[in-house]
Amino acid sequence: MALMVLGAKAGLAVLLLTAGGAKLADLSGFAATMRLFVPDFATQPVLRAAALGIALGELAVGAASLSSPGLGWVNAAVLAICCGFLAVSAVGYAWHRDRPCRCFGAMSKRTFNAAGLGRSALLAACAGLAEMPVRPSLIQLGVAGRLALLAGAVLVAGAACTAAAAVAAGRDTAPGWA
Amino acid sequence: MHGRGGGRRGPGHRAGVGLMIRIPLYLAVAQWALLAALGVLVVVMFRQLGRLLSGSGRPASLGPAVGSQAGALGYARPGDDTVRRLSPGDGQPALVAFVDPTCPSCEQLVGVLDEAMAAGDLAGLRVLLLISDPPSYLQISDAFRSTRLEVGRPADREGLSSYRVTATPLLVAIDGAGVVRAAGPVTRAAEVRGFARSCLPEVPESTMAVIPAASARGRQPDESQKARRET
Repeated sequence: MALMVLGAKAGLAVLLLTAGGAKLADLSGFAATMRLFVPDFATQPVLRAAALGIALGELAVGAASLSSPGLGWVNAAVLAICCGFLAVSAVGYAWHRDRPCRCFGAMSKRTFNAAGLGRSALLAACAGLAEMPVRPSLIQLGVAGRLALLAGAVLVAGAACTAAAAVAAGRDTAPGWA
Repeated sequence: MHGRGGGRRGPGHRAGVGLMIRIPLYLAVAQWALLAALGVLVVVMFRQLGRLLSGSGRPASLGPAVGSQAGALGYARPGDDTVRRLSPGDGQPALVAFVDPTCPSCEQLVGVLDEAMAAGDLAGLRVLLLISDPPSYLQISDAFRSTRLEVGRPADREGLSSYRVTATPLLVAIDGAGVVRAAGPVTRAAEVRGFARSCLPEVPESTMAVIPAASARGRQPDESQKARRET
């Protein structure tokens, strides 16, 4: 059981890092998706700033969750973010079906659909699982361990950003035309 | 930690047994998670690299074939449910741009088309911007928000399939007879002007020669002559 809890915790942290890094490479695209969920008066600079904020927030929470698994508020933040994903997926499925969600920037062609809703529900369940207490000795990290995980977090976020930028450069397609 | 116990038994014992470090389970799990994510990202990058190197990064069948008959299209303007028609072959040459506000290259093309229209380079041509994104997406792009060109959203998929819009931006030049004269992912002003020229009718040299300079000065030049002069 502890292995599952820790796996969910680490997996979600890495997922947030990947999603945040990929979004950084395509802020305009993500801002376009956000446009579907905000009032009409939100201008492009505001949307871009919000997109940047969300991407950086995902990166920060992901890095904190990965390197400090014992912090209770980080687990709560991850759960809140995953519940947010679920809510956005539900609204997207209801009102913007088959529009690109850009959850991973340009790296993914996924859209708001039933499968996406299911994935979001799975993530929220994993976040709930990660909230479960485990023996402190299993998550007790030294400074060197924390630094190593932070370095890994930076590496994954950078790789996600690069991969998303590479995919965007080679594939400038709009799913709606296909 | 075994290492701590070794310290109490003296240096001789430590050298004989060695140092054993116990890694917390979370650290091992997190390392595997990081490794898996990096592996996936490396695969994504190599796949993209392979596509670019093999030349299959862009679909080979982008846009309708040059020389083919362009299909009719139904479209609706943003905020207006009335279905309008683009009917190639009705005598009016047209430039049809398949663009999306979320695509930076499309924004560039829309800006270039706007400038060309303002400069009179597209006079005599019908210019239509077709988007697939929801109309609310127009607000996120300065180029799309400020364009004075006609914007529409395809009303049906039947006519659309003949244009093979597998990527954006796609500009299609259609002459007055409804024949596709050029199609491709252009974004530069010179390319747009070339597309415009390709679908405007050729003016015979003799026609231009017989126009007296004095009478020509007093009237607006014919669009086809204007386009020809630019060549």
